[in-house]
Amino acid sequence: MSVVHRVRLPVGAAAMVEVGHRVEPAEVLATTRTPRGGMSIPVALPLRRSAADAEQFLAVRPGRTLDAGATLASDERGREVRVVEACLFLAYDRDDGSALVAPLGGSEPIVGHVRGEVVSVGAQAIEIRVAGALVAGIGGSGPAVHGELRVAVDEPGAELRAGAIDVGSTGHIVIGGSRASAETLTRARAMGVAGIVLGGVLDKELRDFEAAQARRRELAGVRGDLGVLLLEGFGKVGFDPGLFGWFRAHEGRLASLFGDLARLYVYDADAPPPRRALSVAGDRVIAHRRPHAGQGGTLVRVLDRLQASSSGVVARAGLVRFEDGHTDIVPLANLEATEPLAGD
Amino acid sequence: MVRADMAVLIDVGSAWVKAGVIARANDRWRLVAHAAQPTAWGASELRRALIDQLRVVADRRLMATLDDLFADANRIECHSARRPARAAVVAVSRELSGSTIRRAAEAAGWQVTVVVTFDDGRGLAERLATLQAADVDAWLIGGGFTGSRSPRALDAAALVASARRDGGGPVVWAGSAELADEVAHLFEPGAVSSAPNPRPDARREDPGPLRSRLAQLLRETVADEDETHLASVAFPRAVGALAGAAGMRILGVDLGARTAIRVLAEPDGGVISRVHARGGLAGAIGVPGAAGRIARLAGEAGDEAAVADLIQTLRAHPASLPETAEELAGTQAAARVQLAAIMEESSFGPVDLVIGAGRTIAAPPHPAQAARMLLDGIRPIGVTQLAVDAAALLGPLGSLADDEIGEGIASLDQDLLVPLGTAVVCRGGEIGRAAMRVTVHRSGWPSLAPIDVRVGQLQVVWLPRGAKAELTIELAAGVNLGLPRRSPRIHAVASGGAVGLMLDARGIPIGLPRRGDDRRAMLSAWRDQLHREAVPGSERVA
Repeated sequence: MSVVHRVRLPVGAAAMVEVGHRVEPAEVLATTRTPRGGMSIPVALPLRRSAADAEQFLAVRPGRTLDAGATLASDERGREVRVVEACLFLAYDRDDGSALVAPLGGSEPIVGHVRGEVVSVGAQAIEIRVAGALVAGIGGSGPAVHGELRVAVDEPGAELRAGAIDVGSTGHIVIGGSRASAETLTRARAMGVAGIVLGGVLDKELRDFEAAQARRRELAGVRGDLGVLLLEGFGKVGFDPGLFGWFRAHEGRLASLFGDLARLYVYDADAPPPRRALSVAGDRVIAHRRPHAGQGGTLVRVLDRLQASSSGVVARAGLVRFEDGHTDIVPLANLEATEPLAGD
Repeated sequence: MVRADMAVLIDVGSAWVKAGVIARANDRWRLVAHAAQPTAWGASELRRALIDQLRVVADRRLMATLDDLFADANRIECHSARRPARAAVVAVSRELSGSTIRRAAEAAGWQVTVVVTFDDGRGLAERLATLQAADVDAWLIGGGFTGSRSPRALDAAALVASARRDGGGPVVWAGSAELADEVAHLFEPGAVSSAPNPRPDARREDPGPLRSRLAQLLRETVADEDETHLASVAFPRAVGALAGAAGMRILGVDLGARTAIRVLAEPDGGVISRVHARGGLAGAIGVPGAAGRIARLAGEAGDEAAVADLIQTLRAHPASLPETAEELAGTQAAARVQLAAIMEESSFGPVDLVIGAGRTIAAPPHPAQAARMLLDGIRPIGVTQLAVDAAALLGPLGSLADDEIGEGIASLDQDLLVPLGTAVVCRGGEIGRAAMRVTVHRSGWPSLAPIDVRVGQLQVVWLPRGAKAELTIELAAGVNLGLPRRSPRIHAVASGGAVGLMLDARGIPIGLPRRGDDRRAMLSAWRDQLHREAVPGSERVA
């Protein structure tokens, strides 16, 4: 199977690849030159005109990029104002007759972080067909990272402990369980783990960790952030057992994790267990709300009449036998059906 | 609509779809079936749920043809916008031009994803990089007071010109009019349109014309569908028609999963509506300090960390339902916080009727919970009827042609809204002291002793649906109902409902004790007061 990944390009980026090109996760797809701080260039003075008159002789509009030596303004008498280095023309000041420009820094690479074939190259984006599976989450944090998958918990409901992160996890995308504390996330980053995939995490712990990452970047200028992908819910929420089994089956495969986009690409992988919003009797299901959040089970029967849950909310509901052996009535709106994989 | 004997009214929300079947029986249109389900379940499941209900209530002779009747029924539908419209705001000052433009944009239904101002602490390079990375549908620029030529405002426009691609979405200049031509000159022809300056000077805000311009732009650029079927258009139209027909001043609030709509409709047909792009339940996550505030307001939803997880869950799984009492309390407190946020923008004075719509408000387990969300979130000062659009009929009715909306509203009469009762909300006074004395006269009933309500108290008097009562309200010194007092005694008429007559002297905003135990005790007492006097089972809010 394959999916298309879109890499957005900033204004002025120059593509380095063509359609049909095969790219690796660390490969540069395009380059961009980021503007540095602004500086003023006199325009009226070299043209020997008043500040207001000189504006009509500008050769470019604000927002245009000028190469080194390009003409910024020229008049009919042959007088010219040129820029000495590549810059972005920002504005013209009518009061003092100068132009505000932002010199451009050196070329910075735009890395795709995915492996695949370039299928389109445009001014706004480059699209890459990825041979593999896409796992979409409900939230995440951190930049794009890539590494091999490594399962670090024994069962889908287990918490990912700091002790489970060792030197063997360095450079990997670690598959955790129902939760990882801020301490675990911090240790993972310190050990050079590329990313972590979790069933759930406490929102507060994720925010605390994000704040620590941000401070680390600001104060120490340290990069190498950890990508986090959240698959099921917030709080202590286990993995869907079927999906956990799928990750086990694909341990060791290369994957790209986009925390901010809540996406994970696993290369050369079969599709993960698909999901359906409406469950029917006999389906394997995953529950999304407390007290069953993250628990998997089987929908034994859809009840004929509307049912009130302990909150008093009345809704269509079904009887679910959870994998820990207990049964309960759960609103169908809180269940998602997960299709079994071949061989299940 | 009246040409058929059956019609299906459907409100397709971003998370839930609500549908009602109305049919003519004995020359009267009645709501005969109603279903609500996650939108992702699809049309065939909705159809099945409605037909199952029809089989219970329909005449036996129709059983064999129910499927055909349903298939042939008129479909009257409204829906939420398919995707949110995103805007970038670039302005001189965060507190003045920036915040005014941002609020105007959000009130017009835009989701503001990027804000750059010259006092945001970032350097030029970082601002440019932020704007170059922005993926937005429109650019809003502002700054400079009326009559001035602020160079910083022109710099803001130049910043956008530097970061935006040609053809990269419309640009709205909402700054000093004196700079409009120069700003237009920075962009390709036709890219820029001007709106009146929403911040004409440092002390005055006039966001109305900009909001209207942005609402129009939203329809032009993003909602390429028939706009009368958009819930943001249809719901206000229906509330406006209802206000005209009833001769009432009506406030309608529709709190959805993603967005919220607020409508103020006057008896003369005037309607002012706002779409709050992040005003829905999922938007609670974007309100600074929301988790702490909701935890304090809910009382029983758990600690701040648990509430933070809950409001993230509302964003991640918007079609799911609260199963535990704690999650329900947290969800309803989040609704109160969101209602309060969308009411903050402008004061509207007393209204005759407040209508709550959206699943969380209009279909809670108990009508008292709906009343509490409206009372606490909106704080409708004065004497106000409260009702909910339990069957979600207003949106679909508002998508009809102008001359048919009133007919539809009149036809459904008693089935249109579920009345919760009447609230008397006062403000002022000192905590613990008398706020108001209310005498309730009901014709044919023995007179009740006057009810004394102290500041900080909420009392409920049983007044069932269909019943009316005459009220004589005597206010204590320093207490008012939002209008100049012309006499020591105020006379008003109260209509009954599922909750009754609510006498609310808790102030605006509601004051809560600092100590956690005291606060929880007070919140429980208010909740119990509303629940105790309501008559469960006499009205069904579902």
